[in-house]
Amino acid sequence: MAMSPEQWGRLKELFRVAIEYDPQRRAAYLERDCAGDTALRAEIESLLASHDQAENFIEAPAFDGNVKAFIEAPAEQIEGRRTGSYQLLRELGRGGMGTVYLAERADEQYQKLVAIKVVRRGMDSEDILRRFRNERQILASLDHPNIARLLDGGTTEDGLPFLVMEFVEGVPVMDYCDQRRLTIKERLRLFRTICAAVQHAHQHLVVHRDLKPSNILVTPDGTPKLLDFGIAKVLSPELSTLTSEQTRTDLRVLTPDYASPEQACGEGLTTTSDVYSLGVVLYELLTGHRPFRSLNTPPHELARLICEQEPTKPSTAVTSAEVVAPHGEARPRIAITSEAVSLARDTQSVKLRRQLAGDLDNIILMALRKEPARRYTSVGEFSEDIRRHLEGLPVTARKDTFKYRTAKFVRRNRLGVAAACVIALSLLGGLLTTIWQARVARREKANAESVSAFLKQMLAYSNPLIKAAGKDGGDTTMKDVLDEAAKRLDSEEFSKQLEVKAELEKIISESYVGQGRQDLWQQHLEKYIAIQRSLHGDDDPQTIVAMTMWAMALEHKDMAESEKIYRRVVPLMRAEHQKGTINAKDVVQAFINFGYLRRTQGDSREAESLFREALALSPELPGEQYFLIGLTRSTLASTLADQGRFAEALQTAREGVADYRQTGRTDAPDYGFSLTILGGFLTDAGEYAEADAALKEAEAVLRRRQSSSSLWLGDNLRNQAISFYRQERYAESQSRITETEKIYLESYGPSYDQYPTVLIFKGLILNRTGRAQEGERILREALRLRVESLPGEHFWVAVARGALGECLTTQQRYAEAEALLNESYVSLNDRLGPRDPRTSEAARRLASLYDAWGKPGQAAKYRALI
Amino acid sequence: MSSPEEVTQILQEVSGGDREAPARLMPLVYDELRRLADHYLRQERPDHTLQPTALVHEAYLRLVDQTRVDWQNRAHFFGVAAQLMRRILVDYARRHQTSKRGGLRQKLTLDEAVDYSQTRDVDLVRLDDALTALAQFDTRQSQIVELRFFGGLTIEETAEALGISPATVKVDWNMAKAWLRREIGGGDADGDVT
Repeated sequence: MAMSPEQWGRLKELFRVAIEYDPQRRAAYLERDCAGDTALRAEIESLLASHDQAENFIEAPAFDGNVKAFIEAPAEQIEGRRTGSYQLLRELGRGGMGTVYLAERADEQYQKLVAIKVVRRGMDSEDILRRFRNERQILASLDHPNIARLLDGGTTEDGLPFLVMEFVEGVPVMDYCDQRRLTIKERLRLFRTICAAVQHAHQHLVVHRDLKPSNILVTPDGTPKLLDFGIAKVLSPELSTLTSEQTRTDLRVLTPDYASPEQACGEGLTTTSDVYSLGVVLYELLTGHRPFRSLNTPPHELARLICEQEPTKPSTAVTSAEVVAPHGEARPRIAITSEAVSLARDTQSVKLRRQLAGDLDNIILMALRKEPARRYTSVGEFSEDIRRHLEGLPVTARKDTFKYRTAKFVRRNRLGVAAACVIALSLLGGLLTTIWQARVARREKANAESVSAFLKQMLAYSNPLIKAAGKDGGDTTMKDVLDEAAKRLDSEEFSKQLEVKAELEKIISESYVGQGRQDLWQQHLEKYIAIQRSLHGDDDPQTIVAMTMWAMALEHKDMAESEKIYRRVVPLMRAEHQKGTINAKDVVQAFINFGYLRRTQGDSREAESLFREALALSPELPGEQYFLIGLTRSTLASTLADQGRFAEALQTAREGVADYRQTGRTDAPDYGFSLTILGGFLTDAGEYAEADAALKEAEAVLRRRQSSSSLWLGDNLRNQAISFYRQERYAESQSRITETEKIYLESYGPSYDQYPTVLIFKGLILNRTGRAQEGERILREALRLRVESLPGEHFWVAVARGALGECLTTQQRYAEAEALLNESYVSLNDRLGPRDPRTSEAARRLASLYDAWGKPGQAAKYRALI
Repeated sequence: MSSPEEVTQILQEVSGGDREAPARLMPLVYDELRRLADHYLRQERPDHTLQPTALVHEAYLRLVDQTRVDWQNRAHFFGVAAQLMRRILVDYARRHQTSKRGGLRQKLTLDEAVDYSQTRDVDLVRLDDALTALAQFDTRQSQIVELRFFGGLTIEETAEALGISPATVKVDWNMAKAWLRREIGGGDADGDVT
C-alpha cells in the first residue's frame, strides 16, 4: 500500500506496541487503535503475520563464509571497457593510488599490450593530469632497457585519470630470487643492473620516490625492469614539500617499509632518497628481512622508527626469525627463519652470516644512513662499491663510527652544504649528452627548454639543500643554487684544490647551459679552461676536449675564431684518440660539431668528410650513443643533397635506416627521425609509395615513443603533407599540415625555421583547392618570415617567392606572378644548380604561367628546363 | 595502505558536515575489507569461518585512530563499511544469478554452494530492491538492516553506531524484517533453493 509518512508513523507505533502482546490482547489493541481504518488494519495484520514467521529471517549476517564475493568484486566496473584508445583486458593489481589493468591499444595500428594505472576516485584528477602533462616529456625520455616506459595518459570516460605504461611480464624481484635460489653473488649482480637503471634515471633528473621489490620485476630471461618511475611525483608531488604531519598521512601512497627518513619525516627528497630505498631492497634481497616492517607497527610509529632507530646489521638480521602476515599483500602468514632464508640463497645460515659480515654490512648500512649527506652520494657509487666487493677489492663503505644525532640533517655544516651542492650538480653531467643531441638534431632552442625543464625538476629535489643553505626553498631558483655554488668556488676553500675547482667550474658551466645563460656558461667554461691549461698545459687531453667545447661556444658569435680552434685541436684529437687518451665519444662529437660549422659556412664537402670520419668511429661508441651515428647519417644525407648528389643522399638515408633495422633499434625515436628524412628524399625522387610507407612507420614509432608535440613528429607529418601534396591528395595533405602547424607552434613558436615551410604548403593547398585568395595571404606571411630571418640569397626565400608566384598565376595576376617566379628561378638556379628539384619546380611554375598567359613560346622555353 | 590519520581525518570531516568526505572514505574502507577478506581466504584453514563482524572490526581497528574519534565518527565508519558490503554482496549475487525474478539460481559449483549455505534462504537481489524501497520512507530502518545484516553488527553495536537505544533498534529491526520478508515474497523467502 502507498503510505504517507504519517501513516508509516502510525504503523510503526502500532507495531511497536502490538508485538509485545499475545495474540488475543493484540487483536483487541488493534481493534481499538486502528479505529476503523481498514487499510491500516490490514497492513499491520499482514506485517505482524510476517513477523511471526520471520524469526530467523536475515538474522545471520549476509556473507558468513562468502569471501569470494569480496575477492571477485571489482572496485570500478571497468574490465572490457575502453579507456581512450585502449581496451582494458583484466586487472593486474591494486595499490594505494588505484588499480592497474592489462590493456591493449584498441586501434589496430600498433598492437601492443600495456599496463594502465587508473587513479582511483577521490584523488585530485585535475592536479594529477596537470602534473602528468608537465612530467610526460621527461618521463617519456627515460630510455633504458631496464626501465618500463611511461607511454601515455588521459582520462577515462567517467573522468578518472590514467597512466599508460609498458607492460612487463615478470615476477617481483624477491620472488624471482627466492624461487631460483639465487646466491648472494647472483643477487648482488642482479642488484647492480637495477642500480644502473636508477642511475640512468637520476642522470635525467628523475627520482623514483617509491622503489620497492614489487616495483622491480624480473622477466623470465632474468632482465630486471623497474616500474612506475616518476609516477609517485605525478600522483603525489607534495611528498617532497609536506610538513611532517601531512607526510605521515601521505605515507599511505608509499610503501612505508622502503621510505627514507626524509620521506617519513617530511623533509624534501633527493636522489639519495632512492639510494636509501635501494638500500632497503638490497637488505631484503640479502637477508629476507626488512630494516623496519610496517606489518607489526602502526604507520605513525613506523615513521618514527625510520627516522630514529638504527637498523639491525644484515649479518645479525639473518640469524633472527620473524612471523609476518603481509598486510596489503595478498599472501598467507609466513615465518622467516634463518634456515628458510639461507635455503633460498642456496647456502647454510652460518655461511650466509659470514658472507654478509663486514663489507656487505657496511655497504648496506652506508646506504641506509639517516642523513642523506652521509649516504653514498649517488646510486652509481653504491653500485661501484658492490662491484669492488664482488671483485675482492677494498670497499669505500666504513662502519659508522660517529654518533650523529639521528633524524636531523646536518643543517649548519657549510662544507656539508657545499658537498650537497656538488652532488646535485654532478648529476647534471648527464645533461651534456642531451645538449649534444640537441645540436645534432639542430634543435638548440627546443632542447634548451627541455633541459631547463629538467633543471626545474632538479630544483625540487635540491630543496632541502637550498634550505640548508639558509634560503627559503619556496623562492629559490636553480640559478640561485648555481650562483651560490659559483660564489663558493671563488672562496678560500678551493684555492688550494684546483683540480676540484676545475671540475666544478666545468659542471657549473654546463649547468648554466640549461638555464639558457650562454654568457655564464662561457664565463665558467673559460675559467675551467684557464685552470686546466695552467695545471696541464695546452696539449693535455682534457684541455683539448675543453677547447672543442669552447669552439662550440663560439660558433654563433665568431665563426672564424671557432673554426680556428677546431683546426688546431682536431688533429690533436685524432692523435690522442689513437693513444687512447681521449674517448671516441668526445672525438665523434667534436667532428660532428665541426662538420655542422663547415656546412653552415657553406663548405659541404669538408662537412661531408668530417661526418664520414665521425661515422668511421661509430664501432667504438657505447650502445647508448648510437643515436649520434643514426642522426649523423641523416645529416650526411642532407649534406650530400646540398651538393646535388641526390642519388647518394637517398642511398645514405637508406643505409641509415637499414642499419637501425639490422641492429634491432627500430623502437628508438631517432629511428623515426631517420625514416622521416628518408621519406623526404623518397618524395623528392618521386617514389611516393615507398615514401609513404617509411613516413607512416616513422609516425608510429614517434607517436609511441615521443610526446604528441615533439618536433620530430612535426617534421614527420610535414614530410607526409609534402608527399600527399605532390600526389595531389590535398585533403590528406591538409590534415597533416594542420597538425604539423599545431606542433611547431606549441613546441617552438613561429620563429622555428620550418614554420614558414608549413605556411607555404598550407597556402599552396588552398591555392589548388579553389581558395587562392586565402592562400595568397598565408603565402605572403611565409615570404615575410623568410625574408626577415634569412639572408636574401638563401634558397628558402626563393622557394617562398615561387609558391606565391604560383598562387598569383591561379588568380590570373600574370605580371605580378612573372616577377616573383623569375626572381625565384634565377636564385634557385644560382644557388642549387639547374638539376635540383626545386629549380625544376621553379621552371615548371614559369612554364605554367606562360601557358595560362597565352605565351606558348616562353612556356616551351621553360618546359625544356624542367 | 591507509593510515589511521587519514581515515580518522576523513571521519572528522564527515562529522563536520563535509558531504564529499564519505566518497573519499569509501575506497579506503573498500580496499581494507577486500585485503582482509583476501588475507583470510588465503589462510586456508578449514575450520575458519569468516565473520563479517570480525572483518569490519578489524578494518576499523586498523584504519581508525581510536583516541581521536567519537561515537559519531564510529557510526559513519560502520555505516560506510556496511554500505560497501551490501554493494559487494549484491553485485556478486547479481552476477551469479541466471534469473533475477524467477528465483531460479544457476547451478552452483561446490565452492559457491558452500558460500551460499548461510544465506541461501534469502534472495539478496530481491532483498536489496526491497531495502531500497524501505529507505524511501524509513531511512533509519534501512540503515539498521544494512548494519545488522550486511555489516554483521549486533543490536547493541548498531545502537551505538546510530546513537539510539538498543530497544529502539530492536523494534525497528523487527519491523523492518517483517516488512522486508513480506515484500520479497513470503513463500520464497525462507524456502529452499529450487
